[in-house]
Amino acid sequence: MKRLMVLITVVLFVFALSACKHKDEKIVITIGMWPDETAKEDVEMFKEWKRRFENDYPQYEIKGQNYEYNVDTFLFMAETGTIPTVFQTWFTEPQKLIANGYVKDITDELKALGWYDKMDPEMREALSAGGRTYGVPRDGYGLGLFMNLKLLEEAGLIEDYDHDGKLDLYDPEGNPLYPQTFDELLSMASTITETLEYVAGFMVLSANKQGGWQFSNIAWNFGADLQVQENGKWVSKLNSPGAIAALEWIKKIKHEYNALPSDVSLSYNDWWSKIGQETLAMCIVGSDAIATPFVNMDKPTDYPYAFVPMPAGPNGDRYSLFGGTPYMFSAKATSEQVMGALRFLEYMGRSPEMSDVAKQSIEDGMQVALRKGMPILPSIKPWINEDYVTYMENMEQMYCNVNMNYFKDFYALFDSMKRTEEPYYCQEMYKVLDGAIQTVLDPRGITVNVENLLTTINNDFQKNYMNNVN
Amino acid sequence: MPKIWKFIRKNAKAWAIMLPSLVLFAFYIWVPLFQNISLSFYKTVGTTKVKFVGLEQYRLLFQSADFLKALGNTFEYALWSLVIGFLLPIVIALILNEVVHLRGLFRTMIYFPNIVPGIAVAIMWTFLFDPNPYGVLNSLFKTNNLWLNNEKAVIPLIVFTLTWKGAGATSLIYLANLQTIDKVYYEAARLEGASAWQRFWHVTLPHLKGQIKLLLIVQIISVFQVFYEPLVMTKGGGPNGASSTLVQLIYQIAFEEFDAGKAAALSVIVALILFMLTGLYFYLSKERRKQHGEITK
Repeated sequence: MKRLMVLITVVLFVFALSACKHKDEKIVITIGMWPDETAKEDVEMFKEWKRRFENDYPQYEIKGQNYEYNVDTFLFMAETGTIPTVFQTWFTEPQKLIANGYVKDITDELKALGWYDKMDPEMREALSAGGRTYGVPRDGYGLGLFMNLKLLEEAGLIEDYDHDGKLDLYDPEGNPLYPQTFDELLSMASTITETLEYVAGFMVLSANKQGGWQFSNIAWNFGADLQVQENGKWVSKLNSPGAIAALEWIKKIKHEYNALPSDVSLSYNDWWSKIGQETLAMCIVGSDAIATPFVNMDKPTDYPYAFVPMPAGPNGDRYSLFGGTPYMFSAKATSEQVMGALRFLEYMGRSPEMSDVAKQSIEDGMQVALRKGMPILPSIKPWINEDYVTYMENMEQMYCNVNMNYFKDFYALFDSMKRTEEPYYCQEMYKVLDGAIQTVLDPRGITVNVENLLTTINNDFQKNYMNNVN
Repeated sequence: MPKIWKFIRKNAKAWAIMLPSLVLFAFYIWVPLFQNISLSFYKTVGTTKVKFVGLEQYRLLFQSADFLKALGNTFEYALWSLVIGFLLPIVIALILNEVVHLRGLFRTMIYFPNIVPGIAVAIMWTFLFDPNPYGVLNSLFKTNNLWLNNEKAVIPLIVFTLTWKGAGATSLIYLANLQTIDKVYYEAARLEGASAWQRFWHVTLPHLKGQIKLLLIVQIISVFQVFYEPLVMTKGGGPNGASSTLVQLIYQIAFEEFDAGKAAALSVIVALILFMLTGLYFYLSKERRKQHGEITK
């Protein structure tokens, strides 16, 4: 018995010792944005940022994890506490992650660092719930119209007026040749489809909630407000005249003008391959995705791709849906880890801080992007402090490697056009709108009564979701 | 000594041999199964139970248009799999059984689609079924078919791709069984003047009957679990939910909406349906055998 007691005591002592935190044990931060090991140049850049950070903050240890946010794995990883300390997710996810308690409230840390007031207020709103903030934006995006100018030229819609070897997006008088209104878009898309074999003039998304996401922007431009407050209660307006006109426009471009691809279900993964394979001339995309066809389809940065403002609706309404790509933090992270992770963002050049080390990292990033042949364009700034904005604008101007004539109007008009997503049950709303768009895109959609269709989904959406708001 | 101890001591070696499997089985199958059933009676945040709601999750599911659509679609998958995929492996096996030359080559060729990863098969057929005029099949046949974008054709086409991938493996199981049939029976039948059809009907088929029944149930169970094909080929069950399935809906509710309670309730419903179908099959099968005097009690 005595021997047994001694044995138990020794075992417990060893356990207790192993559980004690060693005095010089470092605070470990797992960085989920760490690049894949095949991207050697990016890995070297991250290693250099890690070296600089650990040199300045010796109490921290940075561990890289190539974690790509994925709905297949996130739930398991979150439940088992294995998601990285900081990770990048999609613009659709923050509210869901917050509601389920998978991400950490970092309001106090942001205020302590002085970053809270420097964050773009609309982006902060998208990353907040109940007055608390749960993430920081990596960058912002706005929806615009992406165009393959080569196809527009082949369809006779644009040409090289000044014979400088580059296609012109403006006529000799300086008037833009890209579609200013949805009527012009319809007409141009129709000309392209009629003129060029196997080419669709335009594409309307309809799957994975991305159809509803883009449709809400089209509907705004047709004069719709999809959710409004009436007598102090939030009401769904998916069947407002503007929304009906927008879906009627989709019906017209599909069935009357036949200017869309044959697919009924199209998602955001389809646009860049169709554009790159030259089977699609124009589509709506986010400004943060412009580089995709250049990189994925191996096109040089001077390839005649253009990105222009969203067309206006019949009454001149012209909006660009605005959002951001966020960094979020594991709910299991400690405040010390969050502070470390936020400071590491400064060492990645992804914070409002304009320290020497941040500037160096921004320049590192630009040079790697240049070597990789990525287009360098202006960005939608997630931070609004003047020193950050000025520095970024100077850097983007210095490193710009594309023909800005193809992009400048989007950035010039964006601030006057930007509009954030509807406030409640956005993803659910996008899902029901996907269904309505697919109904219209189906061959039988030619006979569908758009008003009845939208009224039905509106009533369901109000009953199932919006009534919970009030 | 109590009886139970006597029983355990008597079978100690057998229990010791079974113990690892029992522990693993309990840990990986029974515990999650009962946890899942329990979860289905709760409102959850993530996978954490927050409030007992009784049968509320089930009520919500039966009121949901998505559920009813997926339920109907899943039965449609099962039906089409019987039409397209049930007889084909038997026919292939019968043909292979008659092949004399290059039998090994034909077996390999038949089995080949089965070694291609399922996702790769789904992506390959998605390319082939591109609905645009430049799509592979549309170009080949000079047609403008919508293929997977056609609400009426989408389920049969997905079942066709499932059959393309899986029929070879099933054929080899039937073939193995066919090759165990003693040639004496066929010779006796020939001597009796039986035609080829009669030999098949009276010799081959009775021999395969048990296996056909088993594989039928396996096929229905596996078709009820169709998941990644519509996820990949029709962007999550399109067009307009025409190819969505119950398992895909479970995935969507659990992993996209993080509603573990409702997903658990749906899993229980799927399990119950399969349980009932299997029970019904065994009941009917037993009744039939009774009628034929194969079972006396």
